[in-house]
Amino acid sequence: MARKFNLKTLQKKIQKEIEEAKTLKDLDEIFNLYLGKKGEIVKLFKKIKSLPKKKRAKVGERINKLKDFLFEKLEKKSEKIKKKVEEEEEKKEFFDITIPGKKPEIGHLHPLTSVKRKVEEIFQSLGFEVVEGPEIEDEWHNFDALNIPPGHPARDVLSLGKTFYLKKGGVMRSHTSSVQIRYMEKNQPPLKIVVPGKVFRAEATDVSHEIEFWQLEGLMVDKDVSVANFKAIVEEFFKRFFEKEVKIRLRPSFFPFTEPSFEVDVSCVICGGKGCPVCKNSGWLESGGAGMVHPQVFKNCKLNPKEWQGFAFGMGLTRLAMLKYKIPDIRLFNSGDLRFLKQF
Amino acid sequence: MHSFEVEEIKKSGKDFAIDIDVLPNRTDCYSHFGMAREISAILGYKMKEEKWKLKEENFKAKDFISVKVKEGCQRYTARVIFDPKIDQSPDWLRERLEVCGLKPINNVVDVTNYVMLEFGQPLHAFDLDKIEEKEIIVRKAKKGEKILTLDEEEYELDKEILVIADSKKPVALAGIKGGKNSGISEKTKRVLLESANFEPLIIRRGSAKIDLKTDASVRFSHGLDPNLTEIAIDRAAFLIQEIAQGKVAKGMVDFYPEKVYPKKIKLEKEKVESLLGIKIAPKEIFRILKSLGFKVDKKFVVEIPTFRRDVSFQEDLIEEIGRVYGYEKIEKKFPKQTLSLPNKNLDLFWENMTKDILKELGFTEVYNYSFVSKDDVEKFHFEKEAIELENPVSASFQFLRPSLIINLLKNVYKNQNFFKQIKIFEIGKIFKGEKKEKKVLTCLMTGETFFEMKGTIDLLLEKLGISNFYYDSYRPTPEATKISVWHLKRSAEIKVDGEEIGFLGEISKKILDAYQIKEKVVVFDIDFEKLVNFASEEHEYQPISSFPAVIRDISVLLPKKVLVEEVLNKIYQAGGENLRDVDLFDIYEGEEIPEERKSLSFRLIFQAKDRALSSKEVEEVQNKIIEILEKEKEWEVRK
Repeated sequence: MARKFNLKTLQKKIQKEIEEAKTLKDLDEIFNLYLGKKGEIVKLFKKIKSLPKKKRAKVGERINKLKDFLFEKLEKKSEKIKKKVEEEEEKKEFFDITIPGKKPEIGHLHPLTSVKRKVEEIFQSLGFEVVEGPEIEDEWHNFDALNIPPGHPARDVLSLGKTFYLKKGGVMRSHTSSVQIRYMEKNQPPLKIVVPGKVFRAEATDVSHEIEFWQLEGLMVDKDVSVANFKAIVEEFFKRFFEKEVKIRLRPSFFPFTEPSFEVDVSCVICGGKGCPVCKNSGWLESGGAGMVHPQVFKNCKLNPKEWQGFAFGMGLTRLAMLKYKIPDIRLFNSGDLRFLKQF
Repeated sequence: MHSFEVEEIKKSGKDFAIDIDVLPNRTDCYSHFGMAREISAILGYKMKEEKWKLKEENFKAKDFISVKVKEGCQRYTARVIFDPKIDQSPDWLRERLEVCGLKPINNVVDVTNYVMLEFGQPLHAFDLDKIEEKEIIVRKAKKGEKILTLDEEEYELDKEILVIADSKKPVALAGIKGGKNSGISEKTKRVLLESANFEPLIIRRGSAKIDLKTDASVRFSHGLDPNLTEIAIDRAAFLIQEIAQGKVAKGMVDFYPEKVYPKKIKLEKEKVESLLGIKIAPKEIFRILKSLGFKVDKKFVVEIPTFRRDVSFQEDLIEEIGRVYGYEKIEKKFPKQTLSLPNKNLDLFWENMTKDILKELGFTEVYNYSFVSKDDVEKFHFEKEAIELENPVSASFQFLRPSLIINLLKNVYKNQNFFKQIKIFEIGKIFKGEKKEKKVLTCLMTGETFFEMKGTIDLLLEKLGISNFYYDSYRPTPEATKISVWHLKRSAEIKVDGEEIGFLGEISKKILDAYQIKEKVVVFDIDFEKLVNFASEEHEYQPISSFPAVIRDISVLLPKKVLVEEVLNKIYQAGGENLRDVDLFDIYEGEEIPEERKSLSFRLIFQAKDRALSSKEVEEVQNKIIEILEKEKEWEVRK
C-alpha cells in the first residue's frame, strides 16, 4: 500500500526541481505546488484516510518527514539564490570613491595650548608641579626679589627696560621668574615646579618679537641640586618634546638672579646639528636662559642659601611651538586668524 | 664657550677685528687688556705685559688745577701736561684706532681713545687754558644751560645731566662727550687729562635723556673699577710724552674720598663640587682663579681684585671655576629623587577640560592680546575701571583688556569674510578695577544662536559636574540700559546656587555696528575662578530602566508672554516620579493661531524604574497634567 504513495519517488522529483530552480520565484512555485494549501503534501495527508488504520500512523510520519525535508531544502536553496543575487547586484553597482569626503565641523585648540600641554605633561612626569601666577606684578616680585635693584637697566621705563608699567603702579610681568619668588615665599624646599605663562615686553614687533608671548619657568631646589642635574633634566625634556635624541650645550651668561648663569642651546632639531637656515648654520638652537639660583634670591625669599641650592630656567613656549609646527612669524599666535588656527 | 661670544671676525687692512659680545656685568673685559687676561686664563698662556715708565717734571699738577666734585663721581683723577706738540698720530696708532672703528683726530685725543681701548677707562683731554679760573667742577647742569660738543652738536641740558664745568660754564658732558669750547686744538699749550669714575646710573640716564651714546658712556653706564683711573691716566700721560713730547707735571690731582679695596671670599671646595655636580681638583681650582687675577691662599681664601666688580659671592667664584674649566665637561646626572608625586593643578585640569569640551562642540580657541585701545574702553564704558599703561607701544594697546569680548569681536570682523559662521572662545585674564586681574572664559558664536549658546552652556556645565545652574532674566537699571553692550531682552544671567557666574546674550546692535560686524553675535562670558569652585569630578552612573517607555504628545495654546519654564514647571510638578522627561519640540505662532497667543508642543516620556506602566496609569498622569495646565486662565491643551 505504501507504494501507492510513492514517497521516495516524489522526494527525488521535488529535490531535483529545487536543485534546478534558478530564481526565488521558481522556489515559490515549487512551494505552492507541494507545500501550499492545495499542494501535493496536503493531498497526501488527505489520502491517508484511505489506508487501513494500522498503517496510517506510520505513513503519516513519513509524510511529515518529507515535509520537513522539503522545507529545509527550500530554505537552503533560497539562501543560496539570495546570496547570488546580492553578489551580482554588487558586481553591477557603480560607486565612485573619489568623491570628496564630508568633514564634520569640528573645533580646534590653539597650537600653544597643545604645546603647553605636552610640556606640562613631560615635566609632571619628571616630578614637577605646574604652578601659575599673576600677570600684573609688583616691582618686588618682578625685579627686587630677583636681585634686580632700582636703577638697574632692566627697570628703565625708557629704552633698555622693555617692561610695561601701569599708570597706577605695578608692571606687566616681563618674565615668569616672578612666580619663582611667589612660590618660594610660600613653600619650603625641596621643591620642583614649572610655571607656564604669558609675559609682556614693550618693544617693536616683527617676525620674531612680540609684546606678549608665552614662557615656561622651571625651578628645582633641594640640598644638593647641581648643574649636572640641570643638564640631565633639560636634555630629557627636549628629548621627549622633540621625540628624538638631542644634545645640550651651556654657554656662560649673565642674569642677576642666577649664579652661575647659562644660555642653553639644544642641537638643531631640524638639521640634527649639521647646519641649516633655522639654526643659522650653527647646528644649535638657543632655547633659553638658566642658572643656579642666586644666594640673594634665596635670602629675599627668607630661605637660607647655605642650606638650599637649585637651578632655575626659562624657555619660550611660543618659540617651541614655532619650532614644532615650523611657524615663521610669531605674530600669527595672537592674530585670531581662523585660517591659521583651524590648521591645528 | 667659556666667556663671551664672537659676533664677527672682520679683516681690516693687514689686521683683523674681532667683534665680541661682552656680558654686561664684565666691564673689566671692555678692553684689550681685559680680553687678554681672560684669554690667558682660558688657554693657560702667560700674559705679556708691556713695560713703561712715566717721567715727571719738577712743577706740580696741583698748582695748575683744582677739582671740586659736587655729585655723581666716585673718583676724579687729573694730570697736567705742558707743551705737547699737537700733530697727527704716528701710523701705528692711527691704524689701531681705525681697525677698532675710531676716527683719528690728533695725537693727544688719539692717545686718550687708545688708552680707553687698551684698559677700558674713558679719558678726556682739555685745553687747560680754556678752563676758567683753573677749576674743574663736577655738577649737575642747570636748567637751560647749553653745550656745543666736539662734533658740533648743540645740547640743551637740565638737572639730570652731569657736566664737567669750570667756574663759568659746562666744558664737557661728564662721561659722555667733551665740549667744543675746551677741546684740544693746534694752539693748545697745556693739556688737562681727565680720568674719572662717574656713577653708572647718572651717565646711563643722562645718555638716554639726550639720546647720545658714546664709547665712554657705554663703559660708564655698566660701572667701572675706580682704581683703574690711575693706571689709565699714567699710561696716557706716558704715551703723550712719548708721541707728542709733552712735559708731565709732577703728581696728579685725585679726588677719591672712599677708596675701594679688594674683598675676600672663603671658597669651600665641597660647595664647588655640590653646585657644579662635578669634582674638580683643588690644584685646578687654584690655577683657574690665579689666571683670572684672583689671589688665593692655602685655605682657599680668595682675594677679589677690584676690577672684578661682578664677583661678590662664593657662587660668583664657582661660576668662574665652572666656565673656565668648561661646562661641557660636566656630565649630566639625574637628581636623587625623593619619591613624591607632584600635586595636581586643579585650575589647569578644569581649564583643559573646558577647552576640550568647547572644542568638541565645534569652537576654535583663540589667544588675543591683553591690550585694547582707549576707543575700545569707551565703547564698552569701562572708563572708570580700565587699567592704563604708562608706556604703551601704540595707541591701540593703551589699556589692559577689561573684557575678552572686545578682542573676540575684532576676531569676528577680521574673519567674517572668510567663514560663514564663526565659533570661537578664549580663556584668559581680564584686568580692571581694584581686584585687578581675573581669569574668564568667553565664548562667541555668530548668527541667531541664543539657544544654541544656551545649550552649549548647559552641556559645558553638566560635563563639569555642575547641575544646579539656571538662567535669570537680565534686568538692567535704567542707567545701565543706556550703555548696555547686550541686547536688552536677549540676554540672561547664568547662576549656580544663587550666585551669578556669568552672562549670556546677544551683543547690542550699537556695538556690532561700532565694530562693523555684519551678523548677529551671541556671547557667553563666565568667571572662570567661580566655575572652578563649583566644578566636580564626581559622576555617578544612572541605571537604565529595562521597562518600556510610553510617549505622549500634548500641545498647549497660551498667551505669548508666558515663559516656557513656567509651563515646564507645572508639567513636572503634576507628572510625578514616573514622568521621566519632557521635550519641547515645537513653538508655533502665526497662521491658524490667534494673535498674542502661541502653541507649545511637548513630548512627555513616561517610564517607571521598577515596572511596566499600564496605559491606564499613563492616562491618569497625563490627565492630571492637563488638568493643572488648564487651571490657568487662557491656557488650552490639545492632545
